[in-house]
Amino acid sequence: MSYADNFSKMQKGFDMGQAIAEADRCLLCHDAPCSKGCPADTDPASFIKKLRFRNVTGAIRTIKTNNILGGACGVLCPTAELCEKECSATGIGQPIAIGKIQRFLVEHAHETGFEVVEKKNQRSEKVAIVGSGPAGLSCAAELAREGFPVTVFEARGEPGGVLRYGVVSYRFDMDFLAAEMADIKKLGVEFKCGSSIDSQNKAEDLLKNSYQAVFLAPGLWDAVRLQEKKDIKGLYGSVAYLEALRDGQLDAFAGKIENKTVAVIGGGSVAMDCIGAAIRLGAKDVYLVYRRSYTQMPAEEDEKIEALNEGIHFLLLNQPIDYVLGDDGGLKGLKLVRTALGDVDASGRRSPVNIEGSEWVLPADLVIEAIGNKADDQSPAWYPQVKLNEKKLIQVDPDTGKTSMDGIFAGGDIVRGPALVVNAVQDGKVAALAIKAYLSQKSEE
Amino acid sequence: MPKKSIDLSIEFCGKTFKNPFLLSSSPVSNSAEMVARSFDAGWSGVVFKTLNSDRLKITHPSPRMNAFHYGAKRVVGVQNVEQISDRPLMDNLADFLYLKKHYPEHVLISSIMGFSNDEWAYLAKVSEDNGADMLELNFSCPHMCIEGTGHHVGKAFDLIERFTTTVKNTVSIPVIAKMTPNITDMTEPAIYAKQGGADAISAINTVSGISEVGLEDLVPKPNIFGIGAVSGTSGPAIKPIGLHFIADMAQCEDLAIPLSGIGGIETWIDALEYILLGASTIQVTTGIMHYGYRIVEDMIEGLSDFMAQRGVTRISDLVGKALPNLKTTDHFDLGRQGVTQYDLDKCVGCGQCYIVCTDAAGQALEWDAEKRRPSLIEDKCLSCMLCSFVCPVPDLIAFKEMPVTWNRAETQVMDKHLEKEITLEPFTKEGPNECTC
Ligand SMILES: Cc1cc2nc3c(=O)[nH]c(=O)nc-3n(C[C@H](O)[C@H](O)[C@H](O)COP(=O)(O)OP(=O)(O)OC[C@H]3O[C@@H](n4cnc5c(N)ncnc54)[C@H](O)[C@@H]3O)c2cc1C
Ligand SMILES: Cc1cc2nc3c(=O)[nH]c(=O)nc-3n(C[C@H](O)[C@H](O)[C@H](O)COP(=O)(O)O)c2cc1C
Ligand code: SF4
Repeated sequence: MSYADNFSKMQKGFDMGQAIAEADRCLLCHDAPCSKGCPADTDPASFIKKLRFRNVTGAIRTIKTNNILGGACGVLCPTAELCEKECSATGIGQPIAIGKIQRFLVEHAHETGFEVVEKKNQRSEKVAIVGSGPAGLSCAAELAREGFPVTVFEARGEPGGVLRYGVVSYRFDMDFLAAEMADIKKLGVEFKCGSSIDSQNKAEDLLKNSYQAVFLAPGLWDAVRLQEKKDIKGLYGSVAYLEALRDGQLDAFAGKIENKTVAVIGGGSVAMDCIGAAIRLGAKDVYLVYRRSYTQMPAEEDEKIEALNEGIHFLLLNQPIDYVLGDDGGLKGLKLVRTALGDVDASGRRSPVNIEGSEWVLPADLVIEAIGNKADDQSPAWYPQVKLNEKKLIQVDPDTGKTSMDGIFAGGDIVRGPALVVNAVQDGKVAALAIKAYLSQKSEE
Repeated sequence: MPKKSIDLSIEFCGKTFKNPFLLSSSPVSNSAEMVARSFDAGWSGVVFKTLNSDRLKITHPSPRMNAFHYGAKRVVGVQNVEQISDRPLMDNLADFLYLKKHYPEHVLISSIMGFSNDEWAYLAKVSEDNGADMLELNFSCPHMCIEGTGHHVGKAFDLIERFTTTVKNTVSIPVIAKMTPNITDMTEPAIYAKQGGADAISAINTVSGISEVGLEDLVPKPNIFGIGAVSGTSGPAIKPIGLHFIADMAQCEDLAIPLSGIGGIETWIDALEYILLGASTIQVTTGIMHYGYRIVEDMIEGLSDFMAQRGVTRISDLVGKALPNLKTTDHFDLGRQGVTQYDLDKCVGCGQCYIVCTDAAGQALEWDAEKRRPSLIEDKCLSCMLCSFVCPVPDLIAFKEMPVTWNRAETQVMDKHLEKEITLEPFTKEGPNECTC
């Protein structure tokens, strides 16, 4: 068996029977809390009710008109923190599995060929979008639906952003992405892949090159690193590691990881993807190194439990301080210091305090740093007039996605910092509405 | 929104309804405040809660209803002892005027019930004079606390004709007669109504029933301070009865007037079934009592999508479309037989199929206790399909036709030797093939 098999497909979702049975449990609440819990206004209360009353096509229509990446969200949303969080059914048992129902309905549309998304009247004003992640895709689809010609510029070889080059494929596979991308392509959105908008002024210049408005959604593709010493054999940043796995280098990585000891630094969802991938690539031991304690880990509860059950060793209350190299310059281990939890810090969690004299070395053949993603260092040059904050995140009006420069809008992780697919979808929708209003106003003038 | 080319509007008794979905006469259509909200939700018309002339004071028993739950499934049916409207006539008529003023495109049907010719005529006239677009004559309530009304009339066919004639002679708006299902053949009273001048028939009102007996106090429910009564059952449980009567009337050549289908409708599929069997409008009460007016959104969208997918543009093209395929059982081709087939890859191993096949069917399944899987002995399968009804996995068990040369095995006889001991003379008389008793 090739390790690639461990990655090729995500777990099967609900079938029609399971989806109907789950929808039957729904209390069809008045003033439904689930719908209020969805950041992208996907309106679960409506689509579950529609499914309940055998209006399956209508349920699909609700999802896809409200959220063009409804399938991706159904799979990837941390629903326990969003729609399912306030589900009234929790009061008499379990919350309704909203994400799973949503995923089923979108898959059902793809299987049955039911097409929802309709285009309205044709508009002439062209819009350029930088980045084809969830934010860019959502904005593109929304504008295309309104009849605007939309071109998406994507630096990488294929569209999708994190959905394509980030999330591990056993959680979100190529076929699923392709089916959902097809819904967007049918709207006539033009994709220019391998087309980076990354030189001086290039993003702003789009406004001079026949585009009447620009939406910036390049996401965060630089890894936050532990120290300057980055070019060590065996040391990877999460971004490059995960991207390589989704870019045809699974087997190459398997060669490096099989029967080796891997340490992943971090406690968030990205770290979870990194450890999950390592164990599926045949690693002998996988350590998760995290400087605080279990409950402070930002990863979702079920991800953490799953990781424990997959045999990952959680090394909590340990702060990495240096790398230990062998004679060949390659990585040999990770130097750690034990920590204790001190006072609550700005993040609302108790902060780790190093315990003096407790340094020790964890032998490791590979270390992957998954301690955060940040904006590309060069990105300010792409749009010099656009106001940024100290983290190089773009500042916008949250109600419209408007930046400080007329005609330029932005959304997704480049505005929020690391967030969720569903937040990016919402940003794309909000900006599309604002762009439509902006262009309509401009054409009146 | 569904595709715009789909036309859900339909003509019924000369009026155009923007869709076939109406509130039926009941608590859901009790006041203009309620009906207005239902119109906003998408219902195209209303049969207002049956008017009372104020001659007799109406008091509803308390409590009014009991729910019929089945396992975890709530409100499979409702049992009610509600009477006709307890509101003063003036209030109801003022509400008529309000609705006609604010919702002129929606159809207002006044349901009335009288106790005498004069009272029927009176209620008909005040309805017409105050904006009703049509009348529905309530010949069908099974639990009026006053003798000689409701389904007592609906069972006395000459009264149906007489009261209908009276009403028709009084007003010029169309008249619908609402039938009780508490009879065997509905075409008969329907024809009496037609002879009286009825322009259309609606059916069914509630089915006489008892939903539950209280085990503490031994009082059937709803328990009206120690007393229960046979009363009206409604909801999904009665849909098969409603469909049957609508189809019967649709197939009755002597009747040939429009039909409004009622009984257990909740989804667009339920509504469509009534339409395919001959109804051109449908009415709902219990579905709304369970879920609210909002269910109409899914009726509209679901039906529109169905039509778009089938390439049907007008709903009227679907009315009665299943009737050619509805025949009496003597039309079945008994030469063609089939069995079930199992897709065991999907099996979860519960064994319910084995239980029902063994205890209620052909003993055609064997059970592999090791693997926890059934295996079918095709020749013994009766094709009753019981196993597929209890199977929790969709599409695991399906029907398949067998070649004409195939024969089903005879049911096992425990001890063939006992045949010698049977006492019987063979039946040899020639006789007709139908019952002539
Ligand atoms: C490993 C990982 C796992 C995650 N798992 C989840 C999850 O399970 N659930 C969840 O809700 N969220 C998850 N997230 C977060 C989520 O993926 C992001 O919030 C979301 O993708 C942000 O969308 P975006 O459109 O802003 O940016 P991105 O998805 O990052 O897309 C940006 C795109 O812009 C392109 N680009 C960048 N610069 C340029 C340029 N100069 N010119 C042209 N194109 C450019 C990039 O190549 C990329 O395709 C995860 C994130 C990561 C990294
Ligand atoms: C509580 C209740 C009150 C009703 N009152 C009336 C009435 O006043 N007049 C009438 O014609 N039918 C009345 N009905 C019958 C309904 O209009 C309808 O014919 C019946 O309930 C079957 O439809 P359903 O299954 O959609 O409820 C009543 C039904 C219920 C449940
Ligand atoms: S539904 Fe309303 S009116 Fe009826 S019993 Fe309950 S509270 Fe009273």
